[in-house]
Amino acid sequence: MDRILVDFVKALRSNGVRISTSETLDAIHAVDLVGYGKRSQLKSALSLTLAKSEEEKSRFDSCFDQFFHFNSFEQFEQPAQKPPPKNPLQRIISLSSSNPANNNPAQAESPLGQMLMQGDSQALASAMANAASAANVRDIKVMTQKGLYGRRMMMAMGLEAMEQEMWASEASDDLQEQALARSLRDARERLREEVKHYVERQYLLQASGESRALRESVMRETSLENLREFKDVQNLVRKLAKKLVATHSRRRKVYQRGKLDVRNTIRRNIPYSGVLLETHWKTKRVDKPKVMAICDVSGSVSQYSRFLLMFLYSLTEVISNVRAFAFSSDLQEVTQWFESENIDTAINLTLDRIGGGSTDYGQSLQTFTDLCLNQIDHRTTVIMLGDARNNYGDARTELLQAIQSRARQLIWLNPESRLRWGSGDSEMKRYKPYCSWAEPCQSLNQLERFIGNLLRYNQ
Amino acid sequence: MKNDFSVEQIKSGFAESGYICNDNIAMTMFLAHQLEKPVMVEGPPGVGKTELAKATAQFLNWDLIRLQCYEGLDEAKALYEWKYGKQLLYTQVLKDKLGDLLKGAHGLAESIDRLHEFGDIFYSEQFLEPRPLLQALQAEQGTVLLIDEIDKADNEFESFLLEMLSDYQISIPEIGTIKARRHPIVFLTSNNTRELSDALKRRCLHLFIPFPDATLERSIIQSRVPGINDKLRQQLVGFVQEVRKLDLKKQPAISETIDWARTLLLLHSESLSPELVETTLNVLLKHEEDISNVKDDMRSLFNKLFKS
Repeated sequence: MDRILVDFVKALRSNGVRISTSETLDAIHAVDLVGYGKRSQLKSALSLTLAKSEEEKSRFDSCFDQFFHFNSFEQFEQPAQKPPPKNPLQRIISLSSSNPANNNPAQAESPLGQMLMQGDSQALASAMANAASAANVRDIKVMTQKGLYGRRMMMAMGLEAMEQEMWASEASDDLQEQALARSLRDARERLREEVKHYVERQYLLQASGESRALRESVMRETSLENLREFKDVQNLVRKLAKKLVATHSRRRKVYQRGKLDVRNTIRRNIPYSGVLLETHWKTKRVDKPKVMAICDVSGSVSQYSRFLLMFLYSLTEVISNVRAFAFSSDLQEVTQWFESENIDTAINLTLDRIGGGSTDYGQSLQTFTDLCLNQIDHRTTVIMLGDARNNYGDARTELLQAIQSRARQLIWLNPESRLRWGSGDSEMKRYKPYCSWAEPCQSLNQLERFIGNLLRYNQ
Repeated sequence: MKNDFSVEQIKSGFAESGYICNDNIAMTMFLAHQLEKPVMVEGPPGVGKTELAKATAQFLNWDLIRLQCYEGLDEAKALYEWKYGKQLLYTQVLKDKLGDLLKGAHGLAESIDRLHEFGDIFYSEQFLEPRPLLQALQAEQGTVLLIDEIDKADNEFESFLLEMLSDYQISIPEIGTIKARRHPIVFLTSNNTRELSDALKRRCLHLFIPFPDATLERSIIQSRVPGINDKLRQQLVGFVQEVRKLDLKKQPAISETIDWARTLLLLHSESLSPELVETTLNVLLKHEEDISNVKDDMRSLFNKLFKS
């Protein structure tokens, strides 16, 4: 039975629940105590030992229901009364037994045929599980392998013998034999359906996680322009933002030499009868970064802006003091939308109301300065997200300089590669001197690395 | 000797001491007792995380040792401290003895050798002031150790707990390793104000206590506020369950439901009316905003409640 548990752990892992070996051992001990007898008890015991946060608990629940779908535990408890067939296997059987051919004296001889005709759901379930492990269904990696593994499972269950029998019966002249062949054929089709479902479920449990991981690693490297090809990019973006904040949200202390912590020092030196041998220094907590982000949503960056906004939104979800602004021809604060609406509405609102116009960096910087230059202080990080293509308008670099002189740092993220900076109407070369750093930001990986640095060094 | 309890026994034992729980919680206790693993309890405030530890202590008839965590909690307050005063006093008192001891010793080396013979007297267990964690390890009888609101403590403290939680032992540099005489049952509670480290979670069973469903909440009220009549209990639990569905700053928890039930009992109420709810709502909700929100929705809440 441990094998089943290990498989279950594997399935959980591929669904994003982190489980260590020692937790698996705990689960095995717990199951030894509780037993497989009662489904609800098994579930809560496993949930206690394996899933370690609220989010993991909900993943665990859905995974458990899928995984132990087959082993209908209730049947062990009440063998006397069989409920109407909920279980797909029982459905096969009830269909087979309602078949008039069953009243026939002709009996199937192959083991699989017998099993199907007799309606032994337990035997069939365990045969299916055995066949699955013989065919290594657990190793299924990609969708297209479903047919292959299904076939292998059927073979392992003894399909060949049954088919031989079926063909033999079909060939014979005896009416009863022919009826048997017909019902065998029906049973085979239903079995095929069930095996298909089984393999699909295994695929969902085991492999979907791995292929998702592969997909994600591809998505992270893809250029932001092409990202909209991927449907689930939103989840990934949110995951990245969450990860970043989880790593950096812990308040850290900086050990600052210079101020003596008198109380603590005296206390620590009592054992030396009050002679101050050990000194203790005051510590200072690192403040969470205060961020103002300005995002270009004009026509020239329309491919990127959705993702930049998405990232911005995820950031506002997890860091409390982020103020977000968006501009094309003029600038507007969007923090209130980001805080009150859900991600899609917020982004669509921003793009509809502000996006699409022709870019005017000069005017936007002016508005930004009017709005909140006096709120920028030495703890504030200002992030510009945009391509700096100003339609040959006035760049107003002096405004950027004013912002930079007040802020802790001014960071420019440009979705264009360095080579194109300064070409055509790009003002990047003129803005760059006023930025603490300017980086190209073309894929989610770069975006993540950058924000990670921002949070790490913002001390 | 280890007492064996089944899950059902635990459940009924808890019920006797006034803690009504579901199967999941009883299973946690069963496993914590059998596997000797600490339990991490998470959930919104007021769902009875701390009560669970108290109920366990009462059920097993063990002592409850409680350690409240806060920012800046360090090992001197959680684990042990040397009794510096006593050490100083003793050295003063024993100063005269020192002369006797060293009588006849020639040279510094010989004197020091003699002193060495006495070992680290001043850093022995007699001079150790045990704090909650050490108390729990030293107890002869089984104890229930409650480490409350671990998320409020610093990260360093969290790492410091790891040795204690996995091996039930603690290393004190001057003495060595102190092992538990009897493994205590450890509860850690957390309100999720910050993410706890994986290392800590890995060592614990993890129990999440959500808000109770209506049936469970009714039986909790019945056990905690026995004087209340059936009709009122039904109504008040129904009302609270509906209120939880609203978008509130702080959802009312079980403890608030209990307080509210007691209030209504004091007022000799027979059934809920909008006026009654309005005047006593501040027992249930703790934010002015929430109270006015619920007042606005009162009519629809009552409609829902009395239709069904």
